[in-house]
Amino acid sequence: MSNFSFLFQKEWRENVRNFKILWIPLVFLLFGISEPLTNYYLPQILASVGNMPEGTVFQFPELSPEQILMSTISQYQLIGMLVVTLGFAGIIARERKSGTATLLYVRPISYFSYVNSKLLVMITIVIGGVIVGILASLYYTNILFGAVDIGAFFGFLGTYIAWLLFVISIVLFSSAAFTTGIASTVSVVFVLFAQIIDALLGTYWTISPWKLPMYAGQILNGNFDMTPFVWSIMITLIASIVLIAGAGYFAKRNVSKAKI
Amino acid sequence: MDFESIPWLLILPIIIIQLILIVVAIIDLIRVRSTNGPKWLWAVIIILGNMIGPIIYFIVGRRNE
Repeated sequence: MSNFSFLFQKEWRENVRNFKILWIPLVFLLFGISEPLTNYYLPQILASVGNMPEGTVFQFPELSPEQILMSTISQYQLIGMLVVTLGFAGIIARERKSGTATLLYVRPISYFSYVNSKLLVMITIVIGGVIVGILASLYYTNILFGAVDIGAFFGFLGTYIAWLLFVISIVLFSSAAFTTGIASTVSVVFVLFAQIIDALLGTYWTISPWKLPMYAGQILNGNFDMTPFVWSIMITLIASIVLIAGAGYFAKRNVSKAKI
Repeated sequence: MDFESIPWLLILPIIIIQLILIVVAIIDLIRVRSTNGPKWLWAVIIILGNMIGPIIYFIVGRRNE
């Protein structure tokens, strides 16, 4: 256990020094605030900068608070996930390349606590950042659009956190198994492209980790099927645990590839 | 839209966060030894690319070694 806390402190210090601890939560916060604001002031923004001919009338649909929170999530699904996958793709692979790994690997560390220290730092930064961002978004939505059912909101947040855990374990696994460049490609494919494929072909099945953000939205709206949702959550959690265990295995196997 | 009718209290947090991001990115740019591509170009991107500029710098510009 002392092993783990030592590795965690090292990891924490590194992420403080490269400012990840600061800028990743700030990005989520920025999108969380700007999404309700731009949606609310869209008519005025268009009127002042849109260069519309005189007398143009737009019919803007009435947006519900739930829809605003969902559009925040869809921002996170694109830009946020890009930040997470590309920002953390090197978390293990980089150490092998730069030689930090040799300093670590000569010590009798357990690879399990090595991977777990990285996992805990990623969870703190990414999930902490998203929670802060969504709460800010909820606050602004509350002011501008109206209240959201608080029970449904927590269900929505919990589901989205399960999805984030899955994303984090994909990134961790690919970083342990491949070099930084390949790891970023693999995690972008499995996080961003897999979602598009799941959205295109996914009408044929209902149980998949990539459907969790969609289920989160359904929970928020209050109409969702219990069975496929529970199965998706279960499969996502199992897949995350398997991927994290796999990351430990590959971190150990790739020791020989470390640059000395 | 005239100046007074802009809801500054609501927009202020966005402006502050953007400023923090720009300042942090610039501090980081000064501290790191080398970036992918010339440093002055990244300074221009960070300052002029308002929302996206610092994010692009942190993801692409920083050489993580």
